[in-house]
Amino acid sequence: MTINRERRRLLEGLLAVAGIAVTGCARAAPSAAPDGSNKVPKKLRRPIVARAHRDDVSNATNGTLDAVKLQAMLGAAIARATGDLTPLASFRRLFRASDVVGIKVGTLAGPGLSPHPEVVQLLANWLVAAGVREENIVIWDRLDHELERAGFKLNRGGHGLRCLGTNQDYDWTPREWGAGGSCFASILVNELTALINVAVLKDHDLAGVSAGLKNWYGVIHNPNKYHDSGCDPYVAHLAASPMIRGKLRLTVIDGLVAQCHGGPARSPRWAWPLNSVMVSTDPVALDTAAWRTIEEKRQQMGLKTLVAEQREPKWLASAAKLGLGENRWERIEVVDV
Amino acid sequence: MSEAELHRRQLLVALAGGAAAICCPRLAFAQDESAGASLDSGANAGLSAHPARWWKNAGELRIECELCPNKCRVADRERGTCGVRENRDGKYYTLVYGRPCALHIDPIEKKPLFHVLPGKTALSLAAPGCNIQCKFCQNWEISQVRPEQVHTYAKSPESIVELAQHYGSPTVACTYSEPVVWSEYVYDIAAATKKAGLRTLMISNGFIEAGAMNDLCGVLGAVKIDLKAMTEKFYHDQCVGKLAPVLDTLRLLAKRQVWTEIVTLLIPGLNDSEQEARELARFVKRDLGPDVPVHFTRFHPSYRLQNVPSTPVAVLTRARDAAMAEGLHFVYVGNVPGHPGNNTYCPGCRKMLIRRISMVTLDNRIKAGHCPDCKRPIPGIWN
Repeated sequence: MTINRERRRLLEGLLAVAGIAVTGCARAAPSAAPDGSNKVPKKLRRPIVARAHRDDVSNATNGTLDAVKLQAMLGAAIARATGDLTPLASFRRLFRASDVVGIKVGTLAGPGLSPHPEVVQLLANWLVAAGVREENIVIWDRLDHELERAGFKLNRGGHGLRCLGTNQDYDWTPREWGAGGSCFASILVNELTALINVAVLKDHDLAGVSAGLKNWYGVIHNPNKYHDSGCDPYVAHLAASPMIRGKLRLTVIDGLVAQCHGGPARSPRWAWPLNSVMVSTDPVALDTAAWRTIEEKRQQMGLKTLVAEQREPKWLASAAKLGLGENRWERIEVVDV
Repeated sequence: MSEAELHRRQLLVALAGGAAAICCPRLAFAQDESAGASLDSGANAGLSAHPARWWKNAGELRIECELCPNKCRVADRERGTCGVRENRDGKYYTLVYGRPCALHIDPIEKKPLFHVLPGKTALSLAAPGCNIQCKFCQNWEISQVRPEQVHTYAKSPESIVELAQHYGSPTVACTYSEPVVWSEYVYDIAAATKKAGLRTLMISNGFIEAGAMNDLCGVLGAVKIDLKAMTEKFYHDQCVGKLAPVLDTLRLLAKRQVWTEIVTLLIPGLNDSEQEARELARFVKRDLGPDVPVHFTRFHPSYRLQNVPSTPVAVLTRARDAAMAEGLHFVYVGNVPGHPGNNTYCPGCRKMLIRRISMVTLDNRIKAGHCPDCKRPIPGIWN
């Protein structure tokens, strides 16, 4: 039995990578392909949020991840979200071999509520398979020590994937971005040509929800200045800045563990093993779905809704107004894969 | 020689002195590890943390900061708008106590404080941070950043006093960034200087809650407040701040009889109308008294306000004339070396009392706090 289970896992993983496990018929047209190869008129497309869930992706006792299942889940979700047959096909279309790709992770909350290195490693693997040089892939966040705490191994140069914190290395030229003005991480200004956003799914005391869009606060030098009014419209305006909007290709929510209250810091009392990943090329649709997930869990836990607490993520509507994506729930297609 | 005329030699001396003051390198000083216990919990490696004052619990590990009118509600592991005060497990800490990022010897006139010990110096220091966001900030590299983004030094309040004494400076100025956000450090420095017979000067935006300001009033020697404009719109649009609390702070300082001077940076098209200058002057005269000095200073493009030209000198002159016409006794023009508004005149006999070029005092005729000609008392701290 053991051998059979292992074989099955292996097969699932291989199939996912090859794209054979992905069987959806209606494919979403990608919104962020660098070659602009969209086949369906934009107005007619409904953004897709692909959601993959497996109860047994992590070991309930020690939290270790089943790499094969994780790869199958993430691969299926990426392919479904982008409307491709395989995750490799997605990456080949979303990225050019010459791209320098930043994988922005959000590790502020530390271990237990940060993107898993295993998830990020899978994304890097697909990028490499799609032709991007390892040295041109940069896993990055605000600070070295936050990355290390979350389990990432720093590599500032040399061979292989790079992994680094911005630390003090900002491009010290203030740039206006709608309601705000900031200095952006130097690597984002000067080097990266494409972005993948890898966030977690959690409650945020002021923003309501912290998922994909809020994660961009980690690329500016002064995020503390933009928490008034429930972070609205700041979250939206920052994401709309050319520095981000022009480079973002894909957003991934590592929802293996999520938190429905007490955020943005980790609070074990309110964290739960969601055992899911969510992927979309529409960052607003993805965060709208993330909000719904938080609300559902809050309801289960007997907590007030974020609306009742007057801290719903109003910045989603601001983001939609700026054309960053779709925030109308009825217009979003959430697909479980 | 007319008031506006200057001897060439005087001008050169003044410019050289000013340049030296501006360009003087940071003081060489040793690290003082007693300034703040290193509290490296892993959350902020390398930052020191010192228990903050002026906050209260807000439940579920949240706190509410009571230091400034932002009244930030801060969740665990988060910081307030200032970026230098952090909630750790439901307790609030300042990350900049005893951690200056700038330390200079300046002429006291640079603050500017024109009625406090003219010709003397101020050991001037800043820790990172600010609680508002002026688009025209001249020191944004230290005021609009988080403490981990600048190099800081460990200096305890006691060592600041020792440095001031070593350099023969009768005052310590908390300046450059926004001292409100490092009020714990300011308070302890001011208490230590007072004990040593020195004075602490606070150069501030005045955006502070009354409770904290009241506490500081007991130890401060003098205060300069930036009254940035007389409209809430300006404060909202240009500073992400509010006017009303600043006016309240000025009233409180007057009530507590802390020597206060006011600076308003006139920015073309935004706050430089004659009407606004008159409104400011009327407020000062009515609520603070006509003897409170007001400085109108010249704007130059800076930080996020690069598309506005420098203030014409004529606009500054007009504002000064208007404020004096409204009844203020001491109105100055700043950032325009050689302007008659650099000087102090007796409001009684109109004779010149202190001749300055920009931030350099050339001649001080005040005798024991009085005009030597008409014997009128001249308000200020003169010795």
